[in-house]
Amino acid sequence: MDKLDTWLAAQSSRRRFLGQAALGGAALAAGPALAQSLVDLHLPGGNAGRPMTSAFPGKGSMILQRMHPPLLETPMEVFDRDVFTPNDQFFVRWHWADIPTSIDVDTFRLTVRGHVNRPLSISLAQLLRLPRVEMAAVNQCSGNSRGLFQPRVPGAQWGNGAMGNAKWLGVRLRDILDFAGVKPGAVQVRFGALDQPVVAGAPDFEKALDIDHAHDGEVMIAFGMNGEQLPLLNGFPCRLIVPGWYSTYWVKMLNDIEVLPGPDDEYWMAKAYKIPATPGANVKPGAKDFPTVPINRMIPRSWVTSLGEGQAIAFDQTIPLGGIAMGGDCGVAKVDVSTDGGRTWYHTRLGPDHGKYSFRRWDTQVPLPARGNVRLMSRCWNTAGVAQPMAPIWNPGGFMRGNIETTNITAS
Amino acid sequence: MKVPSIGTLSFGAVGLAALVLIAIGPPGSRVAPPPPAPSGPAPSSVAFGGFTLTSDAVDLPLDDQQYPDGPHADVINANCTSCHSASMALTQPALTADQWKATVTKMKEVYKAPVSEKDIPAIVDYLTALSAKQGSAAPAGKESGSQGAPDASGGTG
Ligand code: HEC
Repeated sequence: MDKLDTWLAAQSSRRRFLGQAALGGAALAAGPALAQSLVDLHLPGGNAGRPMTSAFPGKGSMILQRMHPPLLETPMEVFDRDVFTPNDQFFVRWHWADIPTSIDVDTFRLTVRGHVNRPLSISLAQLLRLPRVEMAAVNQCSGNSRGLFQPRVPGAQWGNGAMGNAKWLGVRLRDILDFAGVKPGAVQVRFGALDQPVVAGAPDFEKALDIDHAHDGEVMIAFGMNGEQLPLLNGFPCRLIVPGWYSTYWVKMLNDIEVLPGPDDEYWMAKAYKIPATPGANVKPGAKDFPTVPINRMIPRSWVTSLGEGQAIAFDQTIPLGGIAMGGDCGVAKVDVSTDGGRTWYHTRLGPDHGKYSFRRWDTQVPLPARGNVRLMSRCWNTAGVAQPMAPIWNPGGFMRGNIETTNITAS
Repeated sequence: MKVPSIGTLSFGAVGLAALVLIAIGPPGSRVAPPPPAPSGPAPSSVAFGGFTLTSDAVDLPLDDQQYPDGPHADVINANCTSCHSASMALTQPALTADQWKATVTKMKEVYKAPVSEKDIPAIVDYLTALSAKQGSAAPAGKESGSQGAPDASGGTG
């Protein structure tokens, strides 16, 4: 609290420059529901203050990164309440501002076309009649935590909240592809959506998966999220779910599935969302001219959620500590925690297993080394034996952060 | 099948997929349903197997936020508010003039922003001044703050 106040005071001269526009202007635009308060994302190097907003339909209190088109981040404390992120606080991320604001469930059609024997136009009534599957899976933005990169990189300046976990209800993409009859020689499947660029000639947001991946029986088309229909801003009426892969592939408002006889060479696959083809997507800060590949599988991550950055607590010999972990493209094997900046590590107790792609809760009771500043850390191993590294990576896109995160608290 | 975590719900039999989809046919082969009634209290919905989807309509908040006053604010406001909020630029860390130039070039060449060549220096100046005001923690220099001119073709996320 105090820390935020002090920080805000220190920032006031800067905000006189950014001020009216970045914060006050937002409030003007959308009334008192916006800019209820400010949150400090603790990004290194500053410019880390963001207004909270409740001005978006179907959404509760969210961190406002950008109003138009919406970029809304989930506050960290939401992840402490449940491993499933409530729909009304699930993060929101759009690229182009031409987003349909109304969807009619009678007229909506999902088309399947391209390199198939039988093109389809599927109504929602039909989609609901297909065999259903339900799966818990983490949806995490490729650029989640970009704002924590050092040196900083351009792009959406997210803290850690461009992620969420939900129970997705829908149908297998494989069943739909099988019925359409994929022709021999199919290479990729491209996914298009109802949102559109706002200027002519600009690249429409579309993503593609290899045919074998699209056909693996795990990739699904979801119409249900935590037991309800999707909020419009999370992709109503249906979106692609690509378990274990970054959110860029989880196309929202999915209305077009095109089987391709060759690789998708459009902008969003060929140029954007590319990572260095190096171990851990890591390159030297400032590096250029390295080979790249499209971003793909997620990696293990974990966070302390029971205490927030900068929080002050009463000193005790031991304290309860809890948080969440994800295995990335497989399950969580174990989570260890440290209260002395990574010298001593303690085991934690894992909560219920909701499936390998879900968040997993962890809890423990840990000793505090001394009064004063305490550096809390958590480290996840996934079931493939991959552990979070201590050192952060760097790449110019600010993608795939996964190192051990630190939460600084004061015990007095 | 390597899908242990998927649970098939009670009524699902894969044969059903064929049954249902047979009725679908290729695009355009069916008469489009009539447009929804223009007025009426209850939004339309479709339901099956215990799950209902209801038509949705929302209002998104409008953003009339402008770039704050400063030299060339008029130029950036004329060029950089149509596709996305000014906050997209205002929330960036301190960037160098080269990095801002690469970003503006990307807007023009990749995203087709209608920015005329002659306006680019003024926009870059404005943004570089913005970075300089972001405080001592991250001066818009080469050594501290941000590095690595963005690849003018990619990014996002
Ligand atoms: C034709 C539409 C359009 C216009 C006009 C436009 N932008 Fe963008 N801008 C985009 C898109 C699309 C993105 C990527 C959005 C996303 O990732 O959500 C973007 C992203 C950005 C970013 C984030 C960094 C990055 O590289 O993605 C910055 C900063 C930015 N724009 C600044 C500007 C400035 C400054 C101007 C005025 C010269 C401008 N934009 C004009 C479409 C536009």
